[in-house]
Amino acid sequence: MRNFEYAQPATASEASRLLADSDDTLALSGGTAAVVLLHLGLLRPSLVVDLGGATEMQGIERPNGGMRVGALTTIRTLETSAAVAVAYPILAEAASQVGSVRVRNAATVGGAVAYGEPQTDVPAALIALGAEVEAQHGDSRRSLPLADFFHGPYETDLAHGEIVSAVSLPAPQARTGGCHAKFTIGSMEHKPVANASAVVTLDADGACLAARVVVGAVGPTPLVAERAASALLGAPIGEANAREAARVAAEDAEPIDDLRGSAWYKRRIVRVLVERAVRRAAERAAA
Amino acid sequence: MRVVGSSPPTLEAEDKVAGRTRYLPDEVVPGMAHAKVLRSPYAHARLVFIDASPARALPGVVCVLTRDEVLADPRVGNLYGYVFRDAPLVAIDRVRYQGDIVAVVVAEDVHTAEEALELIDVEYEELPRLLDAEEAMSPGAPLIHDRMYPIASELHPIEGTNVCHRSTLETGDVERGFAEADAVFEDVYEAPPVQHCALELHAVIADVRDDAMTVRTNCQAPFPLKAELERIFKRPARVIVSYVGGGFGSKSRDRIEAVVAAASNLAKRPVRLVLTQEETFLAGYIRPAFKCWIKTGVTRDGIITARSYRFITDAGAYAITGARSANNTVKVAAGPYRIPNAFVECFAVYTNKPPSAPYRGLPTTQHTMAYETQMDRIADELGIDRVEIRKRNLLKDGDIHITGDLIRSSHVAECLDGAVAALSGPAPAGDEQTLRGRGFGCTIKYTLTPPQPSVESEAAVELGADGRFEVRAATVNIGQGSDTTMAQIAAEALGVGLEQMRVVHSDTALVPPDSSTTASRSTYHMGNAVLDAATRLRAEVLEVASGLLEEEPDALRLDGDGVRLASAPERRVALDELVAANGAPLLQYGQCEVGGEYVDEQGKRYPVASTFWTFAAAGAEVEVSRETGQITLSRVSCAVNVGRAVNPVSVHKQIEGGLGMELGPTLFERLVWDGDGQLLTSSLLDYPLPTMSTMPRYETALVEPGFPGGPYGAKGMGEVGSVVLPAAVLNAVYDATGVRFHSVPLHPEAVLRALEEAGEAANG
Ligand SMILES: Cc1cc2nc3c(=O)[nH]c(=O)nc-3n(C[C@H](O)[C@H](O)[C@H](O)COP(=O)(O)OP(=O)(O)OC[C@H]3O[C@@H](n4cnc5c(N)ncnc54)[C@H](O)[C@@H]3O)c2cc1C
Repeated sequence: MRNFEYAQPATASEASRLLADSDDTLALSGGTAAVVLLHLGLLRPSLVVDLGGATEMQGIERPNGGMRVGALTTIRTLETSAAVAVAYPILAEAASQVGSVRVRNAATVGGAVAYGEPQTDVPAALIALGAEVEAQHGDSRRSLPLADFFHGPYETDLAHGEIVSAVSLPAPQARTGGCHAKFTIGSMEHKPVANASAVVTLDADGACLAARVVVGAVGPTPLVAERAASALLGAPIGEANAREAARVAAEDAEPIDDLRGSAWYKRRIVRVLVERAVRRAAERAAA
Repeated sequence: MRVVGSSPPTLEAEDKVAGRTRYLPDEVVPGMAHAKVLRSPYAHARLVFIDASPARALPGVVCVLTRDEVLADPRVGNLYGYVFRDAPLVAIDRVRYQGDIVAVVVAEDVHTAEEALELIDVEYEELPRLLDAEEAMSPGAPLIHDRMYPIASELHPIEGTNVCHRSTLETGDVERGFAEADAVFEDVYEAPPVQHCALELHAVIADVRDDAMTVRTNCQAPFPLKAELERIFKRPARVIVSYVGGGFGSKSRDRIEAVVAAASNLAKRPVRLVLTQEETFLAGYIRPAFKCWIKTGVTRDGIITARSYRFITDAGAYAITGARSANNTVKVAAGPYRIPNAFVECFAVYTNKPPSAPYRGLPTTQHTMAYETQMDRIADELGIDRVEIRKRNLLKDGDIHITGDLIRSSHVAECLDGAVAALSGPAPAGDEQTLRGRGFGCTIKYTLTPPQPSVESEAAVELGADGRFEVRAATVNIGQGSDTTMAQIAAEALGVGLEQMRVVHSDTALVPPDSSTTASRSTYHMGNAVLDAATRLRAEVLEVASGLLEEEPDALRLDGDGVRLASAPERRVALDELVAANGAPLLQYGQCEVGGEYVDEQGKRYPVASTFWTFAAAGAEVEVSRETGQITLSRVSCAVNVGRAVNPVSVHKQIEGGLGMELGPTLFERLVWDGDGQLLTSSLLDYPLPTMSTMPRYETALVEPGFPGGPYGAKGMGEVGSVVLPAAVLNAVYDATGVRFHSVPLHPEAVLRALEEAGEAANG
């Protein structure tokens, strides 16, 4: 690790300005990824801006029945918050599967989103829930669908100096259920071979009214599996259409061969995870 | 017995839990500077040119050690190794693996040192690289070393090749044995390299002065290191080892102590180096790649008539210790069986990979994987029960081992029964998603044993002015609880309680010599030395008390309160008074001599091929996902003939620790290089390790017949827990799936592909 300057501004706008001021700056939230990158020498900033002092980015609000999660909210808070458990249980489920308690205590929602790592769990669940991401540049803020935020591995829509300040979720719908499933080799702390998030809404007769399926770690960004979602619409979710959704999700995945497995294997895992996530989401929606 | 056989908490447990224990990376020595190592980016290259002057010019840089400085100093030898002397302190003319040491920067702080590394100008000329041992053995392969320099007498390199060691062991007539067999089985097994991943990183603080040197390190063999440093630096050395956070073989004989000492010698001040986890992956010692060919002849009844076994380990770029590790398992490679005709052949081969080291049991683990999974195949194909076939062949007391040694405490059949009984209950049934099965295996483990009688461990016990006893033992407290074990043995011999004891460990200036904390040897060897010293000290204490109380020593009793007359307990002298009256502390030395011959009651002589053999058996119950190929260990059993457990809780935990550690290489751990010899699994991000979430339920059992010659009957057992696990798991996976695997790790993808071929996968 190289020496660097360190600042902990008190507001998001000041943080953004400091980050924009020079070329080689780095934002720091929980540090679970950033510190590893510094340690490995993959990042060599001259200034590290700790966002932790900008307390305005903390906390969970409930505007209009939806939810606005401040960027500094920890993954552990998502996992344990009663409000999250009631309104968006899939988010608590995804959070509970991140690394270890120690990692979850430090890692933040803002960091998980801004990092842009395709293997990350929480963004997949957030996209399945239809989340929007709030970005702040100096004093100006904008909002865009999280599904459009990721451009490639570790590449996002953020401009230089822009920070993620919050993530917001639409109000939960009736007869809706979700599930986040992941598959990891070795222990939970290890990066997943693949993950899948599904959120489905049923009509009064139990037919699938709306569905969103997202698969992670099998492409440059979390992939919204549109054909998989379409395969579920209009009928109750059972073995046959869940399998079909899983099959097309695996087809549409773009995995690469790496240490966690070959592309063939990852597609197999996507099939297992999508089928499991979709069926469990449907059971939960019906319950 | 009062103290031996009880399980007091380890002496340092409270300090460790409270974070008070100081490990070497916590230590600061006044005036110390910090080192960073420049490492080769290539697997094999000629070092054409090196110029460190731009790095030296960076403010904060103290000095840079390159080949020029090493070669220029007549008081610094340039080759390291006391088993095999082939490792330069820094590269002289070649680098031999990615991560090989090219230069060392010493600076006022670590960050400056790191920055300076990039300013060193180096020109390499790449050479053909050899990443596979079999390829490196093939005729015409380029040579990685120009000459061989074995130190240990049992090492036999083949000059003009990359084979740094070949040895054989033969008994009976193997060809005749195969001719007598009703069936012959042949299998090939493989295992990739893995990293030990000790929790504490390897660290060194060296302070080299003109007339003496002090090296603090967390190594496993302080005395041999002291001798090697004295040879290289031609001045007296003191080696200090504090508590060590795990080694498993990775800290047994590394060269970094000598490298940091050379840097300190140049800097003329104390220098500290702490390897990063990534350096440990890139350049630390590793468990070598392994391959073996096993051929076994059996009668219709499953009796072994012959076995031939050939194995190759990848010693890596330097055979500092890897060649000997391989050789140390030749004696046990054929397994815990009666084998009338056996031939074992061992090769250790240079490649352009990191140097290899022992890994909790050396390659005994891989041998066990081979002979025990083949044993299940033999049983199944002959239609004999898998436990029964083993019992027909297992070594019993009175049998002659293939080395000619007389087996004196096997009880391995009891261990097998114990491992089987611990997993009792109805056979686990599979379902749509999951296949379930059980498997078992047995093993025999060797400990370092010299051919001729020699003293390998010494200890001292002193009664001090405060009336307490101090045990001085060089055994490194590496997490195994050795201080407590030694204190228990001494307390038992003295007749006092554990609270009367304190322990000083592994500082070569304070304790008598010992060979190493490796090979499961400390409880037996150091335990015996401590027992010897404590027994002598007790006699001396009674002798002194006899003078003070004017009674015969036989009439006196030593206990925690002092020495008293057995028949009239009020006539006593307290221990501090006794020392005061004596005018000086009472100090006695003890030793443990091993090696040579065993003479039985009839006067028959047998070579002691291993001071003790450790026998064990383990069982595994597995679940195999038909969807993902993922294997989960639900229960693991292990029963070990430990002779006698000095501290039963420590012994159980040691077995569990071994099983938990080996779970990784069995199921998912492996180091991977690309075709250019670049390490892909270069950090913990890409190298999965077991954690609590992957642990099975353990059922461990101790078989305690007592071992004559061991302290209170104890044998060593530190490594054997891990040794049988892969065999038991592979057998359980066959039991579950009907697929026989011949390699580890059982990566889920490999398992799923095999299930698919066998028609056992779900949703194929
Ligand atoms: C042992 C371990 C196990 C893990 N296991 C999992 C797992 O199972 N599943 C999973 O999903 N993840 C896992 N992770 C990754 C972890 O979830 C991410 O590292 C984490 O989400 C990042 O959040 P952070 O707050 O720590 O971000 P930081 O490390 O602080 O930052 C990450 C990156 O985002 C940037 N950044 C941070 N916050 C902002 C912001 N508000 N605006 C703009 N840029 C920002 C930083 O500059 C940096 O580039 C694991 C990590 C570790 C160390």
